[in-house]
Amino acid sequence: MAATPIPLEAKGIKKRFGDHEVLKGISLQAHKGDVITLIGASGSGKSTFLRCMNLLEQPDEGELIVHNETINFRETKHGREPADWKQVERIRAKLSMVFQNFNLWSHMTLLENVIEAPVHVLGKPRKQAIDEARALLDRVGLLDRADYFPTQMSGGQQQRGAIARALAMDPEVMLFDEPTSALDPELVGDVLQVMRGLADEGRTMILVTHEIAFARDVSSQVIYLHQGVVEESGTPADVLDNPRSERLRQFLAPKH
Amino acid sequence: MIDLQGYGPRLLEGAMVTIELAVLSLILAVILGLLTASAKLSRNRLIHGIGTLYTTLVRGVPDLVLMMLLFYGGQIGINMLTDQLYYAFDIDIFININAFVAGVITIGLIFGAYMGETFRGAFQAVEEGQMEAARAYGMSPLLAFRRVRFPLMMRHALPGIGNNWMVLLKTTALVSIIGLTDMVRVAAEATKATHEPFLFMIPVAMIYLLIATLSEWGFAKLTKRYNTGFGESSEWNN
Repeated sequence: MAATPIPLEAKGIKKRFGDHEVLKGISLQAHKGDVITLIGASGSGKSTFLRCMNLLEQPDEGELIVHNETINFRETKHGREPADWKQVERIRAKLSMVFQNFNLWSHMTLLENVIEAPVHVLGKPRKQAIDEARALLDRVGLLDRADYFPTQMSGGQQQRGAIARALAMDPEVMLFDEPTSALDPELVGDVLQVMRGLADEGRTMILVTHEIAFARDVSSQVIYLHQGVVEESGTPADVLDNPRSERLRQFLAPKH
Repeated sequence: MIDLQGYGPRLLEGAMVTIELAVLSLILAVILGLLTASAKLSRNRLIHGIGTLYTTLVRGVPDLVLMMLLFYGGQIGINMLTDQLYYAFDIDIFININAFVAGVITIGLIFGAYMGETFRGAFQAVEEGQMEAARAYGMSPLLAFRRVRFPLMMRHALPGIGNNWMVLLKTTALVSIIGLTDMVRVAAEATKATHEPFLFMIPVAMIYLLIATLSEWGFAKLTKRYNTGFGESSEWNN
């Protein structure tokens, strides 16, 4: 049996902000088609860890391998930083991120948002990018909003638009940073439905979320972080249904 | 028709000098302003210090004094430099700062400082998430600046730029002091010769007003362009 490709691997990631060590050596291996969910209380480091993977945060220690390419770092007097920013840009283009606050570019229409990076970063012909963008917008149910600006759309629409923008890069791995946390409760469902569709079609996804029920449904692996370390990790059945630690049990307990 | 007693063509030439001077100074000021804003937002303390020194100096010294310093002092400085080149390397060059170049450099330098402050505030007003998305999608710093930071920044900068431009336009009148024949100088000469101040100064005032009015219109267009995606949302929202 051929080994499944590993589009993203993080080994022993450490990160400190000042004196506070946020990540104390975290590893993760995403095989093709994996949906890995990071859960944990706020301050557990889960978002920071996700942001280390596309180098929006620079890990102080540890190794990152994206699509068989190891990211090179060098030591400077301000700490470690990537040795080759061109490499970082190339790797970021393979890892699309969906943000908590959507971060659609507010001076561009939805369609312009979706074609922006394919045209200007990947160098795709504009015509082709537009055709593909329209198909993606149709898929997330926003084709009729193609010429709207982000301020003219609801949060749920913006986030689905942001997912279309992410898909337009045809990414190796999609990173979701609390994609439903900024949404009104009645808008969460549509976004989760789009994400479920992506999981079903075999997209490799790494997801930070508070939606435990959703995590149970779609994840191949759940990682519970506590104060910058992996406290429990495994299948949703292992981690969410049979938590070993008292802390995770409390975290999962229904809030009153 | 008003009889400008033969000064009409010269007045028009003077008006062209005013416009060229103002536009070239504006371009220089915008470039210097962007550099200054970047310097003042830099974490590098030396670069930050240079930016601060520049804006403090320029904003604290009268425009006319700066202009004289640069016009007379600049020529002396350049002569010393070219002399040194000649003695040291046997390179013989002569650079003459003419009044027009001195005017552009001085006005550009002065308004570069004000533009710097305008741009600095505007850069800071751009939401960090917008740039983060640009980086996350693989944009190089230059591309992210061109496609995201600059257009978003302009929305905040345009009112300030427009204001600076109006003041800059009027400041060009100072160059008549260093011997540049702009329309104010032509009008002053004509007034001296004919003793008819209103005949010449009122047309000059009208021309300034005309340029200012046209600029207002141009800035309104630009403002509209850089405001796309902001405001006017209510009718669409659902």
